[in-house]
Amino acid sequence: MITVYGDPATYLVVWKTLVRIIEGVVICMLIGTALGLLMGRERNVEAFFDSWIMVLLTFPAICWAFLSVLWFGLSEIGPILTIILIVFPFVTMNIWEGTKAVEKGLIDMATVYRANRSLMIRKVIIPQLMPFFFSALRIALSLSWKIALVGEAFGVGSGVGQKLIYWFEDTRVDMMLAWGVSFMIFMVAIDLVVFRLWEKRTFAWRHKIAS
Amino acid sequence: MDGKEFVVLDSISLHVDEGEFAAIVGPSGCGKSTLLNIIAGIETHDPDEGGSVEVFPRAGHSTLRVGYVFQNARLLNWLTVEGNIQFALEAQEIPKERWRELITKYLEMVGLEGQEKNFPLNLSGGMQQRVAIARALAIEPDILLMDEPFSHLDEITARKMRFDLMDILTHAKPTILFVTHDLGEAVFLSDHIYMMSTKPARIFKQIAIEVARPRKPEDPVIFDLEKELVREFFSVLDAQD
Repeated sequence: MITVYGDPATYLVVWKTLVRIIEGVVICMLIGTALGLLMGRERNVEAFFDSWIMVLLTFPAICWAFLSVLWFGLSEIGPILTIILIVFPFVTMNIWEGTKAVEKGLIDMATVYRANRSLMIRKVIIPQLMPFFFSALRIALSLSWKIALVGEAFGVGSGVGQKLIYWFEDTRVDMMLAWGVSFMIFMVAIDLVVFRLWEKRTFAWRHKIAS
Repeated sequence: MDGKEFVVLDSISLHVDEGEFAAIVGPSGCGKSTLLNIIAGIETHDPDEGGSVEVFPRAGHSTLRVGYVFQNARLLNWLTVEGNIQFALEAQEIPKERWRELITKYLEMVGLEGQEKNFPLNLSGGMQQRVAIARALAIEPDILLMDEPFSHLDEITARKMRFDLMDILTHAKPTILFVTHDLGEAVFLSDHIYMMSTKPARIFKQIAIEVARPRKPEDPVIFDLEKELVREFFSVLDAQD
């Protein structure tokens, strides 16, 4: 196990996987947020995607992983696409729920004061969607890293997933755990440092209630 | 669409002069808020049904500025007190150079000086409503609409707020259309009272309150007027039933 943590090559492998996860999460957030907002705004878009989102949510993750390999072979696209297909429906759901929670009273207030579109979006709508955005981001990240490993195990010949399958074939439980735990620590650290701080800053107006 | 139309407002006619404080008093569900919302432009009236709402901007204003104080404060909780007022100023495209001066002036007027950087959720309900009043006054509105602004406050706070509003109005003199179901409040604050009944909503009485300002809530003249108007209200409502 020491050999895993002591070897600089380990961090390169983790980095590779991390980049894939981040790419996947960013794309998921973009697609999911855009679609979620659109569903909140347009009735027919909502009617159309309402059931499709459910279909995507229930489609087995493992199928996407295999299909990605079949469609794209051992390429970089495979694991990322797997992440996107599985995770973006969750993001969409969250943001869509968020659009329903936007308070009409505040929209009316802003309308009376003649807020233009940009002001309305920046100061009235986005702040109300932020809690949903954060919860979507958290879900996206926690799901993505698990999916990334599965994708890597089947698809590309690199990253933490590949290491896991390599040691699995060698029946080395200790090495598998070493890789799994090392990666978990990374993800928890990201969650703690990046998201908690970011969230705390964004919701400063809420935390002050306690003071 | 099948069937019946629900007439919310029928033969409502009122005229509010510049600088006047007019109150519309009526039971819940008589369409008072609908009327304010039509004036504010958040609900529309059917032009085929006839009727019109005209509000003229004051000299010097290119567009109509409407200030609105709702039943609850409707503040943007993620913005500071100052930020909330800035929001209205920015929305009305009031030049940035004037913001500082307007914010300070009106926050002081509602008794919230020093609270600029505070967040609304740190304030009591009464103070939040004061911010909403400052926000409405800060845009120096052509008309200030107030929809039962004190009804969500406890009676002691509400009383203090009414008193302070009266005081504020000696400094700022906006045209106000005030909706309430509280006759005492209406008599105490207004120059004119329009009394409304329900189903269909119509104004059945209009009365000028000619009591000199500053008024005192314990003034017997005000109290007698209130009693008289309450009696009248009941006679109309009873006749309907």
